[in-house]
Formats: sequence, structure tokens, C-alpha cells
Amino acid sequence: MRRTRTGWLLLAPSMIILFVVGIVPFIYVLYVGFFDWNLFSASREMTFNGVNNYRQLVFDPLFLDAIWVTIRFTFFAVVSQLIIGFFLAQLLLRDFPGKSFFRTIHTVPLMIAPIAIGAIWRLLTIPGFGPIPYLLDRWFDFEFNIGNNATQAFLAIVIMDIWHWTPFVTLTMLAGLSALPAEPREAAQVDGANSWQIFRFITLPQMQPVVLTVLFIRIMDGLRTVDEINMLTNGGGPGTSTRTIGIHIFRVVFPQTDYGYGSAMSLLTLYLTIVACWFLFVSLTAVRKR
Amino acid sequence: MKKLSLLLIVIAVLLSGLSIVSAQDDMGIDSAWWQAAGAPYAGTVLHGVTESTPPSNYVKDVLAPMFQEMTGIQVDLETTSWDQMYDKAIRDMEAGSGIYDFVYIEQDIIYGYLANNYLVDMTQALSENPDLAAPGFSFDDFTSFLNYFKNADGDVFGMPMEAFVKVYLYRTDLFENADNQAAFEAEYGYPLAPATTHQQYTDIAKFFTEYGEANDMDLWGTTVQAASGHPSSFYEFFESVAPTFGVYNWGINMENWKATVENGGEMNSDAAKEALAWWLGNLQYAPPESTSSTWDEVAASFAAGRAAQGLVYGENAAWIATDPERSTVVGNVGVALPPLSDGVLAAAEAGDGYIGYYDGGAFGLPVSSQNVEATLLWLQFVGLPQVQEEWAATSSRIVMDSTYSTPMVVEVDAATNGYFSLMKDEGYLFAGAPPFPFHPQVREVVAPFIYQAIGGELTAAEALDQAAAAADAELVSLGYGS
Repeated sequence: MRRTRTGWLLLAPSMIILFVVGIVPFIYVLYVGFFDWNLFSASREMTFNGVNNYRQLVFDPLFLDAIWVTIRFTFFAVVSQLIIGFFLAQLLLRDFPGKSFFRTIHTVPLMIAPIAIGAIWRLLTIPGFGPIPYLLDRWFDFEFNIGNNATQAFLAIVIMDIWHWTPFVTLTMLAGLSALPAEPREAAQVDGANSWQIFRFITLPQMQPVVLTVLFIRIMDGLRTVDEINMLTNGGGPGTSTRTIGIHIFRVVFPQTDYGYGSAMSLLTLYLTIVACWFLFVSLTAVRKR
Repeated sequence: MKKLSLLLIVIAVLLSGLSIVSAQDDMGIDSAWWQAAGAPYAGTVLHGVTESTPPSNYVKDVLAPMFQEMTGIQVDLETTSWDQMYDKAIRDMEAGSGIYDFVYIEQDIIYGYLANNYLVDMTQALSENPDLAAPGFSFDDFTSFLNYFKNADGDVFGMPMEAFVKVYLYRTDLFENADNQAAFEAEYGYPLAPATTHQQYTDIAKFFTEYGEANDMDLWGTTVQAASGHPSSFYEFFESVAPTFGVYNWGINMENWKATVENGGEMNSDAAKEALAWWLGNLQYAPPESTSSTWDEVAASFAAGRAAQGLVYGENAAWIATDPERSTVVGNVGVALPPLSDGVLAAAEAGDGYIGYYDGGAFGLPVSSQNVEATLLWLQFVGLPQVQEEWAATSSRIVMDSTYSTPMVVEVDAATNGYFSLMKDEGYLFAGAPPFPFHPQVREVVAPFIYQAIGGELTAAEALDQAAAAADAELVSLGYGS
């Protein structure tokens, strides 16, 4: 009994901090989500409106559009990062000239703050001045303008995210691959398995926990990306083509000061994220069990 | 030897102090009063937040150190992006956390701040603390721009620190070139001169875009502030372009708070649609960076010599016209009134409308400030007539009538071919933002439709029809109209 009490006492500081900085704000956001509250409204008062904010969200084209942009962005970015990262990790398992240099250079983007990444890519792609549009125009007579071409802007944010986060995937995969036992692969080689069969039936199943971990981390990161996209496309343009849900919530909560609606939006997004991750987890682990 | 060195250092410090004091005195500032008034607050650090603009940077780099040297009160001014500035100031004032002792108040947000009682009534605060009233400072010295920062009783809630008009800038070297004049007249049938109508503006834009192409130059006909995801494009359209077509106050009916034509507004009127179509049409004659350009990039494009004409915020006029390190068009900048539809100028002259945007801002003192008295001193210092001249000449902002005739301002006025004269003589034709307490709320709802129109997803008519409907709904949601 005494040992239990001591244990709780030792845990208490961290639990109190967790409660104050994690649980209390969450409960507050949950509470505010049931109110109509805008600092610059005529009344300024918090007016209880039940689930009206949530009902409004379901028919809000800007919100739905932002969700769709976020899903597409996350899908293209994460799938590309997994494929490229896995390939690069396999490459780095082997020795080749300049390997250490490549590994260092490849890892550099990870050390840069997202807002700086956004600024770098903005300078690279700004129409009229950036080297990318300039060279594409000069070499291929191709007009690249993320200011007025929604597809090109979307492509730019996906490529930027791939550039930023693929090193993380590579390093994690490399750690996983390096830790794999050699025996099953050697046994398969003795049994006459070819490279593809070894990859498909030995390496990939063994790597599945690592792949799943990386996948979930990157999906959650992708769904909440704000700063680098906000910087690159000047707030989610052109139009709303790169306005992810994070940027949309930011604009509703801060410039628009619509705290009630913004809170409801945040909670619904959190709910959708949890459901999506759970669904993905169940699907992938079910495949693994089969 | 050590004693001698120490003595020399002390003498040097004293002399440098004296030289500072005498420098302020030379400017006509009563430094003895400021030293005495600041003494009780010496060592205090005042924190402020403002947008990173030429006038704000002058405050940070020149006025704050000058004030500190005289009073011992340190001023720590955070210059940041326009949207960050708002976020930080509003969050601080709403929470009452007292982080900032003074905040930048853009003219368009003052009505929201007053409605929320965020700011100290400076008139009242100075009358209650006569010991803090600085010699040489008077609210009467300011231009009528001060009126934007008064409440219904005439009390002042913001110390004006910048005011300028968004003007039509053009390249005098291109416009006055004899070959260009002959070619233009041959093609369009009238002389090349700063446009007074929208059609003339478009003709000139087309002419110089073709001229740039023909001569393999990075030159286009016009700037367009059309960042396709940033509120600056909303502002260019509603505050600088729509008024030139006779659409005022964003097209919102100020009597019933409605934007749609069917409810008495003008946001989706034929004139507004014509204005948006015209503005979007200019994009074909604008540099490729235009759809990523906010106010800063527009000024940069013009300064880089990439556009023959454009609507540019006046705070940039001085450096574009005079700073060869930042501008390639020094000596080649002309200013004029923007092109207008029939009847708009007459309406503005009669006080029934306006032709463009009279922008600016003030420093306000949040009620949550922990250093109200020291901040009152600082804000009066910023409002002294003696510190205005160089500030105006370097940052093209003027908040006092007396500043127009100072030697440095007269010199810059000549270099800009009359920017300050235009502001002084015809500034009354321009107007600040409409007195909406819901300014950013409606802007955020309407802006996405303007962005979509820039990106070609919506036509001008579709964008404004949807924007007006969304504005009506948002205004009802905010409790304005029914």
C-alpha cells in the first residue's frame, strides 16, 4: 500500500502537467465547440448552440474542400516518401563511393525548421524570380507558376514535403533493415529464392512493424502540416487548392476569430484522423495476420 | 595611470551624453524635460509589436534608441509580418496578458478594437496625468487622419505613426520617351500619358507588355497585387479598384449590413463585376510573379523595373524613387491619381465617395499594459513634430500638416514627382477602410472567392455572387442585419 502511494506521488508531477497542458485544453475546446463565439460579433457573448457548429461543418464547402486537399496531399506525399525512402535505405545498405557524403547531404533537410523549408521552396519556385520556373521556361519552354496554376501548386507542396521528410523514412528504414537477422535471407538464398522473392516474402514481412510505425508517424504529420505550405503558397493558394485543414482552421480561429466554429472544426478533424488511423491500422494488421 | 584612464573614460561618457542631449535640443526637443519625466521609469522595458514596414523600421532603428538615450526607458519593438502582428496583438489584448505595452493599430481594425474596449483612452489618460503631458506635443498637430482613431466623443485611442495613399505610379522614362509616345499614339489614337480611365490603363498595359516582348525585356504593362491565397489581393480589389468604379465600403450597405444586390448591397452589382473583370484582365499584362505578389512584392516588382505602371502603396514611393541600392527606377517615377470611371471623381470631390485607399496606422496602448505611464511618454515622443521630418522623408508617411513643408520632405517630393504634394492636395479624395467592427471576419469569408477568381476557377461574376451571399450569411451570423 505504501509502495503504491509512493509510486503515485512520484508520478504526480508529470500527471499534473499532462492534465494541465493536455487534458484541460482538450476539454475546453470540446466545450467551446458547442458555442457560437466570435470576439468581433455584435454581442461578443458565448451563445450555446448545441451541435449546430458540427451540423454546419458537414455542409461547409471550404471545410470539406480543405479535408479533401489534406487527404490527397498526405496520400501522395507519404506513399512517395515510403517508396523512395525504402529504395534509398536499400541503397545505403551497400557500399558505394561517396556514401557517407550522400547520407549526410540527404539528411540535411530534416534539420531545417518547416517554416524555413517553406521559405526555401518559395524562393525556388516564386514565379518570375525563382530558379525552378526560370529553368523550366528556359530549357523546356514550360510555364511553371504556382501563383495561378492549382495543379502545379499542389505538386509543389507534395514535392517539398517529399524532399523534407524522405530522409526520416530512409533513416528509419535503414535502422530496421540493418537490424534484420541474416539467417532467413541466407536460408532462402540456399533454397534458390530470387531477389524479388526474398524481398516479397522475407524482407517485407520482417520490416512490417517498422513500415507501419513510419507510416503512422508520417500520416499524422501530413494531416497536420501547416507552416511550410502556408509559407510556400502564401496561405493555401491559388484559390483554395493548397489550403489544408490546418491552414483552414488557423484562418478561421485567428484572423476570423470564430472560436466556436474553429473548435468544432478542430475536434471533428481530430476525430477523422483517429478514425482514419484506426481503419488503416486494422486493415494493415489484418493483411499481416492473413 | 589606471586613475587617468578611468578619468578619461568618465569624461568621454559624459561628453557623449552631452552630445546626445545637445542633438535632441538642436531638433527642438526639450531633452531636460524628457530626462526628468523618464527618470521614475528608467530601466523599464516597453514591448511593442508592429508590421515590418519602412515607417515601423524607422521607429525601431532611430526613434526607440533616441528615446532610450533621453529617458532611460528601453523600447523593444517587434517587427513582424502583417498577419502575425494582428494575431499577437489581438491574443494578448483579449487574454489581458500584458505582453505588449503598445501595438500597431491599422486604421481598418480600430473599430473592432474600440468595440472590444482593448485600448486606453489617451486623451483621458493625459488629462488625468498632466505631469506626463510632454511640451511640444499636441493632438491638434495631426492631420485629419487622427479622426480615424477617435471615438464618438472625440477622444483619441491611437497615436498616428503612418499615413499614406495608394497611388498610381508610372515610369516617366517610358512614358516620356518620344518613340514610345509616337508608337502609342499611332496604335491607340490618343497621346501616351498617365491613364485617367480604365480603358486607357489597359491600353497602356498592353502596349508596354508588347514593347517588353518585342525588345526582349523583363518588362510588363502593370503590377497587380493578386497573391492568390493572401488577403492583400482582397484589399487591392475592394479598397483600391472597386472604388474607382464607384463601389464603396466593399459593396456592403452600411444601413442594413447587406452585401447582395437583392438585399440592397453592391458587392455583386454590375459595377463591381465590371471592376473585378477589369482587374483580373490586367493579369495578362502583369509580371508572372503577380499572382504571388502581396503589397511588398508589388513594390519590389516596380522597383526592379518590371512594370510600366501600377497601384503601389505610398509608403514605398520614397525608396522606389530615391534609393539606388534597392531600386532600379530612381529618378524615373511619376505619381498620379488612379484611373476612374465617369462620375467617380465628382462624387469624391463632393464628399459622396472616394477614389482609393488612404492607408495608415497608429500605435495604441492596450488596457492590459503593465507600463501605461511610461508608454504614454513614449507615444507622445513618437507624436512630436520634431521627429517627423526624417521619418517622413525615409518612409513616405506623413501624419502632420507641418511636415509637408520641411526641407527633406520637399526634396523627396521633387524626387517622386510630387507624391507628397498629391497626398497633401488630393488626399481628401481617398478614404480609409469603412468603419466595420467585423473587418477581418467578413474579409476571411469573402477572400477565398477572390482567390478562386484569380486562379481562374470562377469568373468575376460568379466570384462576386458567391462572395456577396457568403458575406450576407456571415454578417447575420455575427449579429449584424437579420
